[in-house]
Amino acid sequence: MKIDGVAVAGAGMVRFGRYPDRSGADLAREAGLAALHDAGMTLADVDEAFVGYVQPASMIGIKAMKELGLTGLPVTHIENASATGLVAFREAAWAVASGRAEVAMAIGFDKMTEMGRGRGPSRGTGRDELDSTILPAAYFALWAQRRMHDYGTSVETFAAIAAKNWNHGALCPWSDRQPDHTVTVEEVLASRMVSTPLTAMMACPADDGAACVIVASTEWVKAHHPDRRLVRPASSTLRSESYSPGHTFLGPVVGPATMTRDTAQLAYEEAGLGPDDIHLAMCHDAFANEELEYYELLGFCPDGEGDKLVAEGATALGGRIPFNTDGGLIARGHPAGPTGLAMVHEVVQQLRGEAGARQVEGARTALAHLVGGGSICTVSLFEAD
Amino acid sequence: MARVAIEEGFFTVPDDPAEAPRLLGSKCQRCAEVFYPRRFVCARCLHEGTDDVLLGPRGELYTWTYVHVPLFAKKDGSVDAYGVGQIDLPEGPRVQAILVGGPGDFDIGMELELELESLGPDKEGREVVIYRFRAVSS
Repeated sequence: MKIDGVAVAGAGMVRFGRYPDRSGADLAREAGLAALHDAGMTLADVDEAFVGYVQPASMIGIKAMKELGLTGLPVTHIENASATGLVAFREAAWAVASGRAEVAMAIGFDKMTEMGRGRGPSRGTGRDELDSTILPAAYFALWAQRRMHDYGTSVETFAAIAAKNWNHGALCPWSDRQPDHTVTVEEVLASRMVSTPLTAMMACPADDGAACVIVASTEWVKAHHPDRRLVRPASSTLRSESYSPGHTFLGPVVGPATMTRDTAQLAYEEAGLGPDDIHLAMCHDAFANEELEYYELLGFCPDGEGDKLVAEGATALGGRIPFNTDGGLIARGHPAGPTGLAMVHEVVQQLRGEAGARQVEGARTALAHLVGGGSICTVSLFEAD
Repeated sequence: MARVAIEEGFFTVPDDPAEAPRLLGSKCQRCAEVFYPRRFVCARCLHEGTDDVLLGPRGELYTWTYVHVPLFAKKDGSVDAYGVGQIDLPEGPRVQAILVGGPGDFDIGMELELELESLGPDKEGREVVIYRFRAVSS
């Protein structure tokens, strides 16, 4: 269903990175206040909130919301692994689209640097260890290796995508990684091998961070920000896996790949848009080879021709369809809970025309995509006037 | 020493160490789709009811990687690098598992066979084992 009558009222975030001296709630407060200030409101104006985080604690979201005030508003926790933030955004957009709320907040925060802390050493001899034997990095490397086998993709192509995103990050004030020099394919390839063929510079960092997006009825946003270009979600879809033969049930799973294709197709249909109408895209580039696959699965080129887009520079700033203009998960960072909201934050900067050195000229439409382990996929499309 | 599976219900631990282990799967009573690990509701036709079947011990390597990070998400420092693969079983399921060998030992399409690897003793002094795949010696 197309989302009607909803616009972004405000967006704010904390630059992703490592914050050993700050709590998740403290980071959430900073991002939440930034979004409230951008929207020109206080929590008293917010009718409903959706809080996203992946840390294994049951009450920290609702407690973090108290940092912004105690107004009695309904608060719901959202957890969908890496896709958490974008799913929280989807719920906020639909809370307004349904007429249930005039103003809704999606806020995400996480401290990946503290995940797993306090667990004792184990040689894997405890129960429930079988499902966690294989690392997510290995899962994506398995996908990369099969890609190289099926299409003859070179490791240089993966490195070129990673280098592009590092260099985009250098232009983004909210990016964790802001290299002081132009990152090259050679530099990416020379970094430490994590899992054949993926090197450390092809992978996202483990970040702390927070981000917040406030949506409201278009009437509310027009009345309060008449001079601002209106940024509207046009569709926001969420799907889990459909069974197909050969499905892998045990271990890290982010697939099958058709999940992204099906979710994007639904988002295009609902919005009445197609890949040719999209001016910039944000995708789940936790590892560089994923971005290559999503060029094809999101419909920006036929299967097997993503490599050509990389060679042409089509997905870099200045190209036909720039991907991950803020550096993506690889450079801007990936604390999980807030990641999708950082994507929307970047979309808002771009569609308002306020993205500075990384502005995509004339950008009026955008796509944001995330997958979450388990697994699910979510795609949101945006339009601006 | 008695051997015990890292987690029950996923694979056999034969009394004879020379015997290859099998994976514990399910076969739909209606559409005959085969799954690993075991499940009750058929993921293909949603029929409620499956029969237990033994899978393997041989399969074909669909894809592989060599991980330069200690085993079990850095918790086992004694294994600092290892192979991981997705293996297509002839019965249908694709499984992810640890591979025996170095980074130059794997090729997509090669035939592999299940074996058990010791992870060390548990509190009762039994030998904890996990399954992995090894190239079939010609």
